[in-house]
This record gives sequence, C-alpha cells and structure tokens, in this order.
Amino acid sequence: MNIIVSIKQVPDLVEELEIAASGKELNREWLKYKINEFDDHALEEALCLKETLGATVTVIALDGEDIDKVLFTAAAKEADKLVKVTGVGDNPSSHEAAKALAGVISGMPCDLILTGVQAADDRDGQLGVLLAHYLGVPHVSVVTGVSVAGNTATVHKEYGGGVIAEFEVSLPAVLGIQAARQTPRYVPVARVRQAMRAATIDEVGGNTGGVSAGTSISRMFKPESGAGAQMLEGAPADIAAKIVGIIREKGIKV
Amino acid sequence: MFETREIFRNFSLWMEVIFYLVAFASIGVFLYGFWRRYQKYRRGRPVERFNQLGRRFIKALGIMAKNSTVFKRDPYAGAAHWMIFWGFVVLFIGTCIVALDHDFLEPVFQYRLLKGTFYRWYSVFLDAAGVLFIAGLLMMIFRRGAMKLPQLDYQRVDRSAGAYDRKGYALDDKIFLWLLLLVAISGFFIEGFRIAVDRQTADLSFEKWSPAGWALAGLSDALGLTASGNALHLSLWWLHGIMVVCFVAYIPFSKAMHMLADYANLMFKDEMAARRLPGVTEEQMKTGMGYRKIEDFTWKELLDFDACTKCGRCHVACPARASGAPLSPRDLILDLRSYADSTIGVKELFTQNLSNGPKSAGKEILVAGDVIRQDTLWSCTTCMACVEACPVGIEHLTSIVQLRRTLVDKGKMEDSLQDVLANIGDYGNSFGQPERARAKWTQGLDFQIKDVRKEQAEFLWFVGDFASFDARMQEMTRKVARIFQHIGLDFGLMYEGEKNAGNDVRRIGEEGLFEMLVEDNLAAMSKAKFRQIVTTDPHSFNTLKNEYPEFGSTYPVFHYTGLLCKLLDQGKLTFSKKLSHYKVTYHDPCYLGRYNGETEAPRKLLRALGVEFHEMKRCGANSFCCGAGGGRIWMDDSKLEKRPSEQRIEEALEIEGVNLFIVACPKDYAMYSDAVKTSGNEGKIAVKDIIELVQEAL
Repeated sequence: MNIIVSIKQVPDLVEELEIAASGKELNREWLKYKINEFDDHALEEALCLKETLGATVTVIALDGEDIDKVLFTAAAKEADKLVKVTGVGDNPSSHEAAKALAGVISGMPCDLILTGVQAADDRDGQLGVLLAHYLGVPHVSVVTGVSVAGNTATVHKEYGGGVIAEFEVSLPAVLGIQAARQTPRYVPVARVRQAMRAATIDEVGGNTGGVSAGTSISRMFKPESGAGAQMLEGAPADIAAKIVGIIREKGIKV
Repeated sequence: MFETREIFRNFSLWMEVIFYLVAFASIGVFLYGFWRRYQKYRRGRPVERFNQLGRRFIKALGIMAKNSTVFKRDPYAGAAHWMIFWGFVVLFIGTCIVALDHDFLEPVFQYRLLKGTFYRWYSVFLDAAGVLFIAGLLMMIFRRGAMKLPQLDYQRVDRSAGAYDRKGYALDDKIFLWLLLLVAISGFFIEGFRIAVDRQTADLSFEKWSPAGWALAGLSDALGLTASGNALHLSLWWLHGIMVVCFVAYIPFSKAMHMLADYANLMFKDEMAARRLPGVTEEQMKTGMGYRKIEDFTWKELLDFDACTKCGRCHVACPARASGAPLSPRDLILDLRSYADSTIGVKELFTQNLSNGPKSAGKEILVAGDVIRQDTLWSCTTCMACVEACPVGIEHLTSIVQLRRTLVDKGKMEDSLQDVLANIGDYGNSFGQPERARAKWTQGLDFQIKDVRKEQAEFLWFVGDFASFDARMQEMTRKVARIFQHIGLDFGLMYEGEKNAGNDVRRIGEEGLFEMLVEDNLAAMSKAKFRQIVTTDPHSFNTLKNEYPEFGSTYPVFHYTGLLCKLLDQGKLTFSKKLSHYKVTYHDPCYLGRYNGETEAPRKLLRALGVEFHEMKRCGANSFCCGAGGGRIWMDDSKLEKRPSEQRIEEALEIEGVNLFIVACPKDYAMYSDAVKTSGNEGKIAVKDIIELVQEAL
C-alpha cells in the first residue's frame, strides 16, 4: 500500500502574532513555524497503518521556511520518502496548494492520501476536499479512525454533538484527519539528526495552474476584547445562588 | 618430637588419596563456575575501567579491609560482616599455611613451619578468628531470622505475590550462613577431641594456646566422650572436610560469589557514576540508542548484576519504592541478573522464578520494556540513593538511564513527558514559553542585570528553567538577584541565550536533545564574557560541573549556597540580624548533597544566620528525594500511594517544634510547598528557600 501524507507548517502560536503594516497579513519576520498539528496526526495515522498493514509512506509538502526540518523529522519517524514541491511561492491558499499538490501526486502511485483536516492559518480549510476534486477520488473529512481491508477503507467521521459515522470508501481516497489513533510519537533528536544526514528530499516542480485563491483578505485584526467579566463576590453559597439565578435569567430551566 | 599437631591424624593412605581427589574435584567445579562467569562478562561491551589500576586496587582493598561501606548507616551489619570477613580471611590463611607446610615444605625440604612458638601463635590466632567468625555468623543469623528488617524482605513491589517465587534466594541465604557456621563449629570440635584424646598419652599443655579447643577438650572429658574421641574426631573431620569442599564448589554458583565479585566491582567502580552519565557513540546514534539486548550492557554492568548480595539497602533507600511505585533498584538488578543468566542458557542454582517473565511473541525481546517494565524504568527519580547506599559499588542509575534511552528511542513515554521534551527541543525550556520570555522575571527589579553577551562580568548566573519561568519561583529569583546586587557580586545573565542545562533531559534518556542543549549553551557561553558560573538550581549545577567539561567547558561552577558561604568567609557577606526565633530543618537536594557532596555550605549559612537548627533522620548524602528528579516532575504521580515529598514533610514534622523547612533548590520549593498543602500540614510548617532567610538577616 502506498500512503501519501500532505503536511505543512503553520505559525507557532507560542510567540505573539503581529499584523503586518499592510493590515492584510501577519508580520512574518519573527515568526517561528511548526508542523500543523492536524497534519502531525495524519502522519501518525499513516505510520500506524504502515506498522499494522505494511505500507510505503511518502510525505509531501510545499516548499517553505524550515520545511526541510519537518520533512526530515517525518523521515526520522520512519516515513519512507520525502517530496518537496517547489516553485509555488510563499503562503499559497489551500486552493493553490491543492492544485499544485494534485499535479505532483497524480504522477505517483497511491492508495491513500492523508492530510490534516484543517490548519490554523487556513482561510477555508478546503485542502483535502480540493485535492480529492483535482485527483477525482472520494474524500472523507474530520476522520478519527481508519482501517483498510483490500481496496476499501473503513473510516470514522466525527460530527458535532459526539456523533460518529462510519463510512466505507473505495481506494484511492483522500482523508482529512482530525485525530490519529494515538498521540503523535516523539522522535528523539538523535534520530532527526541522523535523518538529516541519511535521508534525501526529492524536489519536484509544482504548478498552481492559475487557480484562484477562493477568498481574499480585506482586513486582518486581533480579536477585540469584550466588555469584561462580572465578578461575583460573597460566601461560596451566595455565589452559587447567584450563578443559579443568572442561569435561570438566561432562560435555562434548572 | 616438637609442639605441633598431626595433619591427617589417624588417616590411612586411601583416605588421604580420596580426600585429595575430592578436594581437587571441588576446585575444578569452582574453576568451571568461575570461568562461566568470566565468559558472561566477556560478552559485555568494553568500558574503560583499567585506568589507574594500582590506585583502584588499593582503594578497594582499603574499603574491603575496613568493611567501611557495610558499616555505613548499619553498624550492626557492619560489625557482623567485619567479624565474618576477618574470621574467614584468617582461617583461610591458616588453612593455606597448613597446605604449604604439609604439601610443600615438609615433603620437599623436610621442614615444618607449624611448630614451637609459631605454632602457639598460629593456634591462638586461628582460635580467635574462629570465635569471631562464629559470633559474626550468629549475629547475621539472628538479624535475618528475628529482626524482621524491611531490607531483607524479598517481597516485590511490581508483581503480585503469586507472580514470582524467590525461595531460591532464601535457601541460598540459609545455606551460606549455616554451612559456614557448621564448618566453624565442627572445626572446633575436631580440635577439642584431638586434644582430649592425645593429652591422655602426652604432654599437650602447649595446646592451651588453642583456648577454644582446650575448653572443648574439657567438655569432652566432662561428658565422657573422650573414650570414643578418636572415632568422633575422624567422623567429624570428614564432615568438616566435605562441607569445606562443598563450600568451595558452591562459591561461583551462589551468593558466596560476592566474596570475589564484590571486590572486583568495587575496584572497577566509576567514582563519577550517575554524576556523569556515559554518552552515546556514533554507532548507537545510527542503530538506536540505549540498551536493547544483554550484550549492549558493559562488562562492568554485567558484573554489577552478579555483585548484588540482596542486602536491600537500595530497596529501602529508594523514594520510588517507598512511595509505592513499581520500582525497586534491588529487584531491577536481580531481574537483569536472571535475564543475563537465561540468555547464556545457564540455570542458576539459587534464583528467582518469574511466572510472567519476558515474552517474545516472535519479536525480539527488548531489555527495556520486556525484561524491565516500562513503568518501572519511568518510576526512577534519579536521586542516586541506590548508588550511594550500595556497599558493593553497583551503578544502578547508569543502567536505568541506558534502558530509558531505548524507551525514548521507541517513543514509549507518557504524553506529558513527550510534550516537555518537544518544548525543550523547540524553545529551550520545559515550560513551552517563548525563548525571549526567559528573563521576563527581571522586569520586577529596580536595577538592570548585566547581559554577559554584551558586557564583562565575573559570574554568569545560570538561572535554570524553574527559577526563570515558574510563577511560584520568580519572586524568589528576584530575591536572589537583589541579594547578589546588595553584596556587590559582579554577575550577569545570558538572558534568552540560556537554555535548559539538560541535566534532567539526559536522565530521561534523551541524549540527542541533551547534546543539542549542551552545544547551544556552550556556544552562547563562548561568545559571552564571564569567568565563573553560579547557579541556583542543583540539577543545572550537576551537569554544568560534572558533564559539561566533557564537551569542553572549563568554567568553575558554584551553587549559590557554596558561593554565599565563600563570601561569608571572606567577610563580603555579613548579617545584621540573628534569626534565632526560627526553628528549622534543612533538606539536602539530591543533586547538591548526594551528587556533589555539598552538605556543609548550607549548614554553615544556617549557623551564621543564627537559627535553631535540627537535622532530619535522613540528611546529608542520605537525604530523601522530593520525587521530582530525572523527569518525574513532568510525569503523572497520581498513582503513587504516598508522594515522597509528603513523606519527607512528615519526617520533618517528627522533630518537635520545627516550623520551617529550608530548601536550596527551585524544584524542592515547588514540590514541598505543594506537599505541605496536600499532606494537610498547612500552618504547621512552612517552606522557605535559604535565600529568604539570608534576605531577612541582611
């Protein structure tokens, strides 16, 4: 089985974000990047599938700052092939990224394509959907469980309110991963360093084919703070009574 | 005729021949067992322990002669062991003299050494040694049988009662003591019967120099046994001889092996064990770090496993064991011994049976995880109490960290620990805070601390993660800064150039990350301008002092207690007040007291501060860990029956009227402040850093 995992970097939210002078994007000068957490889960799920069923895992990413390190980290976790898609430009939208990735993936053997369900810097979270569209294969999103038998994958998709649906998907297919079956594994620094020396990244030219970004940013701003909180004071019993009163007042029957 | 005794008295030639045959056979068995052990250690990885061989030899000889490591904190066991040891040594030398006399000097030179004055002294020495030997053995038999000591209880903490069988150990303990006791007692009776019979026909008054034998001869006369004395002598002689011969053969297959293995283990001991952990080779970096199979252990570690006498000192000293975690350093070593034996296809005579021993299920058995459980390895707080308590130089901690390296390599750890390692890798600190927030605590100061990356200072203050980022600690850190400023110390910080020093990262087993941190810190230091390092954190202190030099660091390193003590001596630190209203006890941080022997400086400061000072039962190098070390602070401790920190607070409260618990480690401050609350002792005792007292007394 061939599994392709599409990953990307997102700004590390440990650092405070700043908005650029244009007011339409982040000031990227001091930004630190890290792998999109959902993509990390997609990679973990792929590695788990590899361990249980046997598979070749190829990790693909668009070129960008520090992307090599993320790819080598994936190799350290025992991903088999690394592919870097170049020539797409900085910070493409999910529409452009999907087009470019689909162009490269279509030439590769593949049964499953896993990607994170969304990313913190997505505007519309459509990467998986569009990738499936361009590749002409089925797609399931918000996936929390994957098992494969023959040419079919059985996947769990999470809905709101704790509802989970089970789908059967014929392969190849694109899955947007919400959570892997286990916490993404830790990879020791020594293994990453070793991968940096031993693994190779295939560079492939990508092409967005002139697709539109789908959306455009008119203004970027920080969340405005609300009117503030009302602090309840008094003995614990009084506070509890006041809370119950407020809940009743808001129309909830207790 | 001269004053002596007859060797092989009343023996016919065939008896003598049989005895020699049996004796040589037993020596053969001994040599076979010894050779087999040697083969076992030969499989281990090489490690340099033959340097300074002369110094090692003499040092171990001194320890052995004084039995100093056995006496330590257990004078009863020490005294008993000393008596058995010296009794055995003298009796062994005595037997060798007989052999020399009878088998060499007499047949070759027709000369006898054992006669006249020499024989008299020989007799009295050997009788005294025999009495000492018997008394020591009886003390040990009493200790084992009647004293109900927790360290001699073979119950395991990680398995239920039916899941293992250690009757083999208990049998070995009994055989060892009783066999030696019977050998000694029968020896005296042989002497007694010989004297009783022979003095009827000759003047044997010189045999009064064998006082025990003379007394027993009297007993024989009194009981009317002397008439059949020759028969009794001969049969007892054979019993004695056979027991001795059996003992010789038994040595390499039993706990008696400790007589040889433990001297070797003490001689090849690494004085820096645990303080400075071994690095990893390029090869290990490639193939996977840590120890997977038994051949990955060094020969010294394989020797460690055999050196264990099951004395249980590490078992009772271990904070993990004391708090109900599934780790006993003793059992870890014994399990590794059992496994090492099983992999060479040897079934030891006196061993334990583990009903759920390592399972392979078609896969390679990993020592880390299969032989030693994952939760056992992660229970270790790396406090080093086991290594410190061990009388025979076993280096438990090195093996534990090597096995943890395999777990880290396989990603087998708690999520919380994984997150911390990722944070340290990404941001250089365990708190997951941005690097530039490291010196945020300085914002509350009304003066500017030098940036040693820009201007020269005598001391680099290596602050450490906890003192820098933990909200509970930051005010304390500012207090240290104000005191350093007040006493005119020329110091500075590396600000965001400082990273986690890596002491605990290394002890978690993430060696690659440790190396990265060392490289980053040393790169930052090499660009900074300072001459010495002072740190508030004992953990950082240990690695900066003991491990960084292997990576090229040459800076002298101080813990702030040591530095303040030095300044006190130089008159640069003076106190204007005496804090005699405080009744305090002091907790030695593992990484300061035990790891680095710095127990005096904090006490000297406390004396200068004028507080009423009381020691806890366990203090100095014998301090009891708070439970935070070796990465434990980032792991789940909710499964523990009783946290070590809570046990320690209760130990402090055993001292009448003590109301202050003084610490000298940021992690201790956090751990014990919590423990006072969770153990319900708020109001009874308060936790303070020694720096707070210094500030009050200035």
